Amino acid sequence: MTTAVAATKLRSDQHRWAPYAFISPFFLLFATFMLVPVGAGIYLSLTDWAGLGEPDFIGLANYSRLLGDASFGAALGNTAFYTLFAIAVVLPVSLLIAVGLDARGLKLRDFFRLVYFMPVVLAPIIIALIFGLIFDGQYGLLNAVLEALFGFGGVSWLTDPMWARVVVVVLVLWRWTGYLTIFFLAGLQAIPRELHEAAELDGAGVVRRFFSVTLPQLRPVTAFVAVTMLVNTAQIFEEPFLLTQGGPGEATLSVSMFVYRAGFQRQELGYAAAAGVVMFVIVFVLGRIGTRAFGVGRTR
Amino acid sequence: MELNRRDLLKVLGLAGFGIVGGGALAACTTPGSGTPVSSGDALLDLWTHDPGYATFFTSAATDAALVGGSAWSFGIDVTSIAPADIVSRLITQAVAQRPLPQLAGLVIDQFPRVMRADIAENLFVDLTSLTEPLGDRLLKTQPYSVDGKVYALESDNSVSVMFYRADLFEQLGIPDDVGTWEELLEIGAGIAADTGQAVGMVANGDNGSIVNGFVQMLLQRGGSLYDADGNLTVVSDESVEVLELMAAGVRSGAFLALSDPYGGAAAAALKESQLIATVMPNWYEVYGLQANVPDQSGRWRARTIPKFAGGGHIGSTLGGTAFAVLKDQPLTDAATDLLQRAYLSEEGQLARYHAGAYLPTLVDLYQSPSFQQISDDYLGGQRVFEIYAAAAQDMPIFYQAAGASVLRDSLGGPILRAINGQIGAEEALATGVRMYERQVQQ
Repeated sequence: MTTAVAATKLRSDQHRWAPYAFISPFFLLFATFMLVPVGAGIYLSLTDWAGLGEPDFIGLANYSRLLGDASFGAALGNTAFYTLFAIAVVLPVSLLIAVGLDARGLKLRDFFRLVYFMPVVLAPIIIALIFGLIFDGQYGLLNAVLEALFGFGGVSWLTDPMWARVVVVVLVLWRWTGYLTIFFLAGLQAIPRELHEAAELDGAGVVRRFFSVTLPQLRPVTAFVAVTMLVNTAQIFEEPFLLTQGGPGEATLSVSMFVYRAGFQRQELGYAAAAGVVMFVIVFVLGRIGTRAFGVGRTR
Repeated sequence: MELNRRDLLKVLGLAGFGIVGGGALAACTTPGSGTPVSSGDALLDLWTHDPGYATFFTSAATDAALVGGSAWSFGIDVTSIAPADIVSRLITQAVAQRPLPQLAGLVIDQFPRVMRADIAENLFVDLTSLTEPLGDRLLKTQPYSVDGKVYALESDNSVSVMFYRADLFEQLGIPDDVGTWEELLEIGAGIAADTGQAVGMVANGDNGSIVNGFVQMLLQRGGSLYDADGNLTVVSDESVEVLELMAAGVRSGAFLALSDPYGGAAAAALKESQLIATVMPNWYEVYGLQANVPDQSGRWRARTIPKFAGGGHIGSTLGGTAFAVLKDQPLTDAATDLLQRAYLSEEGQLARYHAGAYLPTLVDLYQSPSFQQISDDYLGGQRVFEIYAAAAQDMPIFYQAAGASVLRDSLGGPILRAINGQIGAEEALATGVRMYERQVQQ
């Protein structure tokens, strides 16, 4: 083989490997920070481990324990409630606010945008403190207002299981509506005005235009927002943790809190990992269902 | 030298690889391990959640009255960490063989986490040889013991007494020496009906606060959550009696149900003079009363807790933070020496009181003149150690077990329902214990 042929082959090899070398950083990072921890988590879920020493391999015992754990069942039920609420209430409310903000001739538009977006940038601990003051059963602002207006104000917002769940979802609504509104607003502003004008010329009213023009045109944004909200709410942690710590009893415990409690309050890391794996599977399946149902990624 | 784009990328790549590789190799070393240091400079790393302990240890390290004669010259490097994160980080650092502190402050409700799987034994120095010679003189070693070995020393005895508004008691005609809870509840019901004021509070917020309030009264009544061997003992006549008393108090208005005994609701109740008495540990005077109602200085007093008619104690305990020494480090002996000097000597206990009002854990010190002569301006110049001494002498023993966190979560809901009158005391206890046993047996 001549030197020229060898040099050509080397160049050819370099060209063949170059693309892989260029994209390798992503895969290296992905493997290091995603695949390895996920694999370790799955292995850990098959062990009994308190954090120190060698994990004891116990097979699927953690999973069978989860099946019979009433606390995990409660956490699943609560999380399902939060998720359902987020999709059924937060999403439509965000869309309606966005439509309102997109209205022609609206004054103080930027002010309203700022107000609706503000909860997103506030520290969760401050939000929890403020909500605690508003919803306190004995000295809360809301009860005081109810008392002044209607003569009753003895609702145990944070200490009654049902009301505590309601307060958590109110917090979810308050915190995330503005954030989602921004996405919808961006989508609304991308809809050509001509479509609305044409529909108006054809005699369509406000409601008809909303359903026949706005909603179909917003479908990609709605799909993205719905799936993101679905996946995020299925992993809800901060809101119940800061507001009620999962209480009263386990009335507001979410699956993420269950994982945290098992791992970092009870030192049952294997059990926490098993709950984490189950949560991952549920979120993944929900995400896939949502993606298919809303047609995320499909061309219009 | 001419540097083309390809060469530049190679240089940058090699430099990056060098940095990452060097960091990775450095991470594989095990700092902290080494030959024990037996004298000389000892800069000790201390992890704590409470600035008060940071201040105390920092000054204690150079206080000749405390460290004079030691082989080490101490210094303290403080890291502030949240209570739950201290245990988590100790474990993760140990697993990763990364640097550990020499001293770590463990909040009492976090200690059960290290009672599992020999974690305490593997992480901490066994301090039994320091505590054993002190015998019954030293209080509150039990909550930090595993298999009879003491792994941490309590900083504050956390003696529970009754704080009350002397001015309002006098105005309302409430005797300040009511003998029993039953009598006080009867008086309290009348006061609540007349003025809406309460002579006690019950937590109805998170599980921790609910169960803590219950345990404080249960210990006073002579009951307990666990015995010395870690067996569950919460199902008892004493527990039923305490729960029924709490429920009766809330029902009649004698007890105020508050979501957070340390938060905004309690502050409002104190400011509005709606809460005119409460049973709380000594530290509540600083963190609860003085912090929320400084304007009520001089109006509050402390007394021992009214007994239950059925028996029990005149004192109780709630909360606490103990310090542990991390084992197998070059400065482990130095840290143990400082902890012994600061925590097990009269000078150390007096210095702790003056630094942050932390009560002595050596029970006989309550009678010593240096403590007895202390008067408390916030409590109207009261000689508080007359009260604390009586309560400490009769302080119940508090035992913990590895499943304490599970028990707290299991009991919280049922206790709340019992307090609210939705279920009976016996049913609440049975429900809670059933939930607990289902989880702990597995």
